[in-house]
Amino acid sequence: MKAEQQEDAAPAGLDGEAVAAAPHVRQAVEIRGLWKQFGERIAVSGIDLDIPAGQFVGLVGPNGAGKTTTLSMVTGLLRPDSGTVRIVGHDVWRDPVAVKSRIGVLPEGLRLFERLSGRELLTYMGALRGLPDEETERRASQLLDVLDLGSAQHKLVIDYSTGMRKKIGLATALLHNPEVLFLDEPFEGVDPVSAQTIRGVLERYTNSGATVVFSSHVMELVESLCDWVAVLATGKIRARGSLDEVRGDAPSLQDAFLELVGAGGRAGSGDSLDWLDGGGAR
Amino acid sequence: MSGTSHPPHAAGAAEPAGPVGAAGPAAPTQHPHGTGTADLPRPPADPAPPAAPATAPTAIFVRLKLALLRNGLRQSTGRKAVFVTAIVLALLFGVLQLLGLLLLRGHEHVEAVVLPVAALLALGWAVMPLFFPGGDETLDPTRLAMLPLRPRSMVVALLSASLVGIGPVFTLLLLCGAVLAVAHGTPSVVVALLALPLALLTCLALARAVATANIRLLTSRKGRDLAVLSGLLIAIGAQFLNIGMQKLAEPDGLSVLEPAAEVLRWLPPSSAVSAVHSTAEGSYAPALAQLAISAAALAGALWWWQRTLRRLMTSPDASTLPAAEEAPKPRRRVAGLAALLPAGRTGAVMERTLRYAWRDPKTKVGWASGLGVGILLPVVMAIQGNASPYQSCWAAGLLGVQLYNQFGQDSSGFWLVASTTASARDAYVELRARMLAVALVAVPYVTAITVTSAFLTGSPGMLPEVLGLALGLLGVLLATGVASSVYAPYSIPQESGKNVAPGQGSLAAISILLGMLAGAVLCAPLIAAIVWLRTTGAHELLWLVLPFGVGYGFVACVLALRLFAPRLVTRLPEVLTAVTRG
Repeated sequence: MKAEQQEDAAPAGLDGEAVAAAPHVRQAVEIRGLWKQFGERIAVSGIDLDIPAGQFVGLVGPNGAGKTTTLSMVTGLLRPDSGTVRIVGHDVWRDPVAVKSRIGVLPEGLRLFERLSGRELLTYMGALRGLPDEETERRASQLLDVLDLGSAQHKLVIDYSTGMRKKIGLATALLHNPEVLFLDEPFEGVDPVSAQTIRGVLERYTNSGATVVFSSHVMELVESLCDWVAVLATGKIRARGSLDEVRGDAPSLQDAFLELVGAGGRAGSGDSLDWLDGGGAR
Repeated sequence: MSGTSHPPHAAGAAEPAGPVGAAGPAAPTQHPHGTGTADLPRPPADPAPPAAPATAPTAIFVRLKLALLRNGLRQSTGRKAVFVTAIVLALLFGVLQLLGLLLLRGHEHVEAVVLPVAALLALGWAVMPLFFPGGDETLDPTRLAMLPLRPRSMVVALLSASLVGIGPVFTLLLLCGAVLAVAHGTPSVVVALLALPLALLTCLALARAVATANIRLLTSRKGRDLAVLSGLLIAIGAQFLNIGMQKLAEPDGLSVLEPAAEVLRWLPPSSAVSAVHSTAEGSYAPALAQLAISAAALAGALWWWQRTLRRLMTSPDASTLPAAEEAPKPRRRVAGLAALLPAGRTGAVMERTLRYAWRDPKTKVGWASGLGVGILLPVVMAIQGNASPYQSCWAAGLLGVQLYNQFGQDSSGFWLVASTTASARDAYVELRARMLAVALVAVPYVTAITVTSAFLTGSPGMLPEVLGLALGLLGVLLATGVASSVYAPYSIPQESGKNVAPGQGSLAAISILLGMLAGAVLCAPLIAAIVWLRTTGAHELLWLVLPFGVGYGFVACVLALRLFAPRLVTRLPEVLTAVTRG
């Protein structure tokens, strides 16, 4: 009982803080000194990042850069060793009630309640989110329809294809109309048709003023979708800002990215692989 | 033996003998050349080129099977030891059974024993492929679909290959025992020589036909789900077998089997064994009919197998099919129940927990063993002469532990729970709903078993105290289950047959052991109350144990929820990490 009272008391104080912070610049996410270590390996080494609200934000980086770890910590699914994260002014770890109702998450790997059908999963999530039954039903039907899952709504999620899983995952993340949506590799392994569907839904969602933060290592995709980009490599932020700022003079985001993570021209130069000319001889 | 074993294909089977012997030393590379027939040492043996491919497969498949067996010995030392031990035990068991059946020779009920043996063997062969789909790779004909083979030659080849292995040898030993136990005189020995291969091949053909007909199921998710249940069915089946054996061991117990034998006498493959008995008794006409029934069954199984093979190999690959044949139908199995559940998070979580108990194979095994063993143990104990209404506490104990490691049962779907659990209230409602779902099944079940056993053991007077103890135990275990779920979560891998992720085995074992111990300690007041009331002779007050037990269990649950729900909120990321492993 005691703990519940504390929980109830906490938001009020923090809300006051948030209101005080709000007038400056509207930030969707504020990350300060975020640090995570797994044994010897440092996955995220002191990230400071402010993500502007109402934008389509791309978090890009090579495999193992710490994107998933960062997103897990930001969404409260992984405890950081140190550092703070605030989402629309609320501290993720001190004020989970305010944060969890305001964010939607689509984690990587995406294991869901596989033995529920798509519709059952949405109904269940709606109840966990405290939505009224009729409202859940209405939203679930629309989401299933828009995401082209209508014909598969009574199939168990375990029998879904990768694209369908990403779409039902997106539906569960959108069901409670969050202010900020975090998506970890939402387009990985997704067929072009599903990808276009997901894209359409996300664009419509950001147009309404919400924030989407998604991670990817497909630069063309990030370039075509995002307004704002943060480049992550070896657990640190290498660049941040609007797409144009990060791209700079480079011809494409891909080139700017390779330059930033220090991989530019590695394959094309030097005398390694000098035997590789297709000549066939030894 | 395989020479006599192919009556329908005698002509086809005789030919391969030559090329097989010749191709033997030349190893599998011979196969591609075999279809060409140009550079074989003895090509003139078969003048018709189209027949040549039909001769090769039998040898190839037998060699493949031998290679698979041999490779069983090429594993790590531990697995090799298991493999060898399994072979030795199977052979030893088979030989002992053979000797046991031989000892029955001349017993008045001997036929009543050997016929069920043959029937059980056939049943085992027919059911086995459904539970061990990965057991025999040569069982999967879809792997052979790309080879230029005709169904008929494949049937011959695969049937010959399936004669190689521990299972067939074991079956052969038992069938030998069966026919030898009933064979008396030369004519019956002759019939036995016919009946033996007939029965063995019927078993094998049945297994192959069932496997082929169900290959779509076996390679699908549903098939894998079914396989997870196999261990449980075998364990429970073994218990029933055990009970049956004890019944049979009683004086004149074998006569119980007589009615079954009456029927089995005319059912293949037992009819083949019965034919030997009939011949020994001089009734030749029934013997002939019985042999004919078995032969017809073998032919039927082979025909069915060949037909499904043809269909399988000329239709699209199984892996592409589910997408096409899906028929979207609303799943409304628990709809009636759902309407009765409370609204909001409580109802949704209860509904999902109950759905998982039915749909998730590993959760289902947990529930089914709790429910099954809970009722089985009192029965077994009663048969062994230890009947007591207190045996119904088994059901309470086994169902109580269903609440252990709740979040591990979610697997990493738990992140959905974690991302919607923000306050201690959320955690409280979540844990309470899961507890209610378990109690919804466990309380009526335990009550029913307790009431039934109290009346069946003729001690209805003990009902209040036993029910009080059983429900108290259930409540205490549910309470400790909440603690274990919050403090000792571990991952249950979805795919593999294991129930604990590597590295978390000791955690799982310790949490369950500690939970059981805590459960026992927490039940001490109840047990003490019963003992005290009994020793002081205050039997008329024993009924008080019922309200005391129920109240005790209830209070334990409420306290556990109040105490541990706030802890869960603060531990969410740690629980998520623990259950996401593997």
